[in-house]
Amino acid sequence: MLMCRGLAEIASDYIDGELNGRQNLSVKLHLMMCRHCRTFVGNLRTSIHLMKAHSSAHPDADVLRRIDARVTEALSAKKSGKSNDE
Amino acid sequence: MDKAVHTESEAALIDDLKRGDSLAYRKAVRDYSPAMLSVARFYLDHSSAEEIVQDCWVTVIDAIQKFEGRSGLKTWLHRIVANRCKNTLRSSNREVATDFSESLEPELANRFNSTGRWDLPPKLKFHESADTLMEKGALSDCLDKHLSALPESQRSALMLYEAHQHKSEDVCNILDISASNLRVLLHRARQRIFLMVETFQESGEC
Ligand SMILES: [Zn+2]
Repeated sequence: MLMCRGLAEIASDYIDGELNGRQNLSVKLHLMMCRHCRTFVGNLRTSIHLMKAHSSAHPDADVLRRIDARVTEALSAKKSGKSNDE
Repeated sequence: MDKAVHTESEAALIDDLKRGDSLAYRKAVRDYSPAMLSVARFYLDHSSAEEIVQDCWVTVIDAIQKFEGRSGLKTWLHRIVANRCKNTLRSSNREVATDFSESLEPELANRFNSTGRWDLPPKLKFHESADTLMEKGALSDCLDKHLSALPESQRSALMLYEAHQHKSEDVCNILDISASNLRVLLHRARQRIFLMVETFQESGEC
C-alpha cells in the first residue's frame, strides 16, 4: 500500500501526469483518505505556480544588456566589413 | 511536433534575423537569452555561461541563414548552446556532477516516521493563489534568494521545463540526462520551493 512518504516521492510525477494508471489510482485513493497528503500535493502545486509566475517576471537585466551589446557590435562589424568571415 | 511551436510571429522574427535587422536581434536576445543562460549554467559556471551565450549569438548571425525551421527557434538555439558547452567541458576534461540518487529532499524526508506516515505534516494550506502571494514583495525576494541557491542542475531543469515550457524530451536532449533523472531534478527543486514557501507562510521569514 502507498504510504505518505511514498506519495511524497512521486508527487511531482502525479502532478505532471507522468504516472501509469495503477500508480495514479493508488495516489488518488490515498489522497481520498489522507488530509495531510492532500495539503502537501496542493501546496506543491501552488509552489510550482509561484515559481513560474516569479521567474517569468525577473530577467537578468545586466547579463542581457551585455549580451545585447556584444550582438550589436558583431552585427555592425559584419555590416561594415563583409570580408572578415569568422 | 515542434512545428506547432512555430508561430507566425516566430517566422517573421526569423526572416528579420536573416536580414540582419538590429531591432529583431534586440528582441530575440531579450526573449531567448534567459533560457539559453539556463542551459549554459547547467554545464558551466556563470561567467563562462554568459560568454558562451554571447558567442552563440555571434554564431547565430551567420548560422541563421541556414536555419530551416525544422525545430522551433528556441530548441535550435538551445542545441547550439548545449553543444558549445559540451565541447568546452570535453576540452577541459570536466563533467557535470549531479546527484540523482534521492527523490526526497532530506529536510522533507525527515518529516516521516518509520512506517512512512507524516510525523510533521504540512500545517498550513497555501490558500492564497499564486498571484496574490506574488504581490507581496517579500515573498518574491525570498523566491529570488532560494532559486539562486538551488544547485545549478536543478535550477536549469526547473527553468527549462516550467518557465520556458520545453517538453521533457527536449530538456533531456539539451541537458543530456535521462528522463528519470530529469524527474528527480524537477521534484527536488519543487520540494525546495515548497519548503521555502512553507517557512515563509509560517514565520514570515525567509
Ligand atoms: Zn498521506
